[in-house]
Amino acid sequence: MKKTKQISAILMGALLTVGTGYASSIKIGFNVPLTGFAAADGKSALNGAELAVEQANAAGGVNGKSLMLVVYDDQASPKEAVPIAQKLIEKDEVIAAISGSYSGSTRAAAGIFQEAGVPYIAAYAVHPDITRAGNYVFRTSFVGEVQGRAGAKLMGETLGAKKVSVITLKNDFGKSLAAGLKEAASNYGITIVSEYEYGIKDRQFGPIVSKVKSDKPDAIYATGYFFTAGPLVSQLRAAGITVPIIGQEGYDSQKFIDIAGPAAEGTIITTSLNRDSASIETKNFIREFESKTGNKADMVAASAHTAVKVIVAAMRKAGTTDKAALREAISATSVVAATGNISFNALGEVRKDVQVQIVKNGTWREYSVISDSKLLAPPNQ
Amino acid sequence: MLYLELFIQGLVQGSIYALIALGLTLVYGLLRILHVAHAALFTLGGYIGVIVSNATGSFTLAMIVAMLLVGFAGMLMYKLAYEPLLSQPPYVSLIASIALFIASEEIFRIAFGPYGLSYQTPPLQGHIELFSGFYLKYAEILVMGLSTVLMITLAWLSMRTRTGVAWRATVTDPDMARAFGVKIQNVRYLNFFIGSSFAAAAGVLVALLNNLVEPTMGSVASYKALAIIVLGGLGSIRGTLIAALLLGVLESFGTIYIGHLLDRDAIAFAFLILVLMIRPQGLMGGKL
Repeated sequence: MKKTKQISAILMGALLTVGTGYASSIKIGFNVPLTGFAAADGKSALNGAELAVEQANAAGGVNGKSLMLVVYDDQASPKEAVPIAQKLIEKDEVIAAISGSYSGSTRAAAGIFQEAGVPYIAAYAVHPDITRAGNYVFRTSFVGEVQGRAGAKLMGETLGAKKVSVITLKNDFGKSLAAGLKEAASNYGITIVSEYEYGIKDRQFGPIVSKVKSDKPDAIYATGYFFTAGPLVSQLRAAGITVPIIGQEGYDSQKFIDIAGPAAEGTIITTSLNRDSASIETKNFIREFESKTGNKADMVAASAHTAVKVIVAAMRKAGTTDKAALREAISATSVVAATGNISFNALGEVRKDVQVQIVKNGTWREYSVISDSKLLAPPNQ
Repeated sequence: MLYLELFIQGLVQGSIYALIALGLTLVYGLLRILHVAHAALFTLGGYIGVIVSNATGSFTLAMIVAMLLVGFAGMLMYKLAYEPLLSQPPYVSLIASIALFIASEEIFRIAFGPYGLSYQTPPLQGHIELFSGFYLKYAEILVMGLSTVLMITLAWLSMRTRTGVAWRATVTDPDMARAFGVKIQNVRYLNFFIGSSFAAAAGVLVALLNNLVEPTMGSVASYKALAIIVLGGLGSIRGTLIAALLLGVLESFGTIYIGHLLDRDAIAFAFLILVLMIRPQGLMGGKL
């Protein structure tokens, strides 16, 4: 009897140590599309976030504990994101969460996290309503309208374009970018001569290309992701269109260049990641991402990496995992990350410069930086 | 000039639709099965085409290999998924087909990664200028040319060869054909082989036009091909071809002129509904 008692005591002791080892790691939720049409971006974002967690743990963790990413595949679908948010809050009891997903699912999940008082950071989803869910929701990348306005300044001032054709992806991402462009266009002398829309599954743009060619614009503002922009830019150039094509962070991936090939040369985008940045943070991120994954860094990975960094910095500052204190710390963040100097306004929107990159010799290079704080001021409510 | 360009774009898109929808109509005509998983063969063809082309540098070889391999894959699909279900009501094979298609999208993602593949040096990217300002890409010429050649070959096969006649007989009346000594099994295999290899050709061509193959590239094709065969008249090959080309042209003009009202797919389906309201059997379908 004594022997069994001893053995069970030892077993319990062992289980307890292992158990508390698991329990004592800090959990951060992460919803990301790993299957479905957005799986490519999801994989990149996951790699970026995982790198940040590894780096944080290698530096001794946070307040003595190690970080753990709790990952769920949301297929970039609002239907999937809601139960995932609930699971992260109730079952996994995360102290904060990050969305590595598109606007549709992030919007749906944001409300849930706000209600539960769990800080939620949208890494790269652009729809303005996301942060309007409440003061627990933040965003480390530009809201669509801000990036659109930057595009207007880029085309009107820097490139001197007067007539612009707009090709818009028909989803939250594309529409909010186009809205921002249209809002600021007249301030920079731009007239929008035509606008065409396409769906996220389209890859054949023949009719739009023909019509845009007949419109004879000075520049083309085309929204999309690398898997739509690659074919689109390639088809535009093949039709003999030579005017500048301006994209946004959706293009920001080496894959865009792989798909469009030589047609990608000279494409200019507004984005968050500057490959030629002098910042040590950015340089380190680019180098370590490439050595960890074998792929070149892209915007979604950099944004997810930044979001984790913000949470880690806030946790270290707050010194506690109390969610309300963490929210306070996040909103007072001022941290240098891979995508620039990150700080938030009252709505939880980030204030940072817009990086403008251009494809030169088959890779993304710095073209310019837009720092106009008035132009780039994100919405306050 | 713009109208001519839009029209040609429509024919290019329509040719792709025709190649895909043909396989679907062949299967429906023979077995009364709605072969939704056909779109998975389209995607597979695209992947094989890019992989072989990148590995060997020869686009022609890639096209041939893709068509052959996917032809066999189609036969395998019939053998494993449809043949055992022939005695069941038609919705059973439809469910199996849908399940196969959904699984295939994820299998492609697992096997080839989520990022998609591209040609390293895409062939036929140049263009000719037919007259001032009117460009036609070599790839687009190939799409229209190859589709025409394949269709004519198929027509010749079915009209002028013994195999073709046996095939048409089996479609019309399987029991009578069997009585005449036609091996039904072989006809079915041939049917799937041809339909699937045409879909593979479409996949390779689409990969050429976009320079991108992705796991989900078949998703639009899967339901649009269904719409096309219904529009053309279920089981009518001629109807399918006309419907495919017509739809391609309609979408082409539609996306430009009513694109702000209706999405591209919505245009296709709105047209389908319109036609069915006037002519429920489809454009060339027989009496209902």
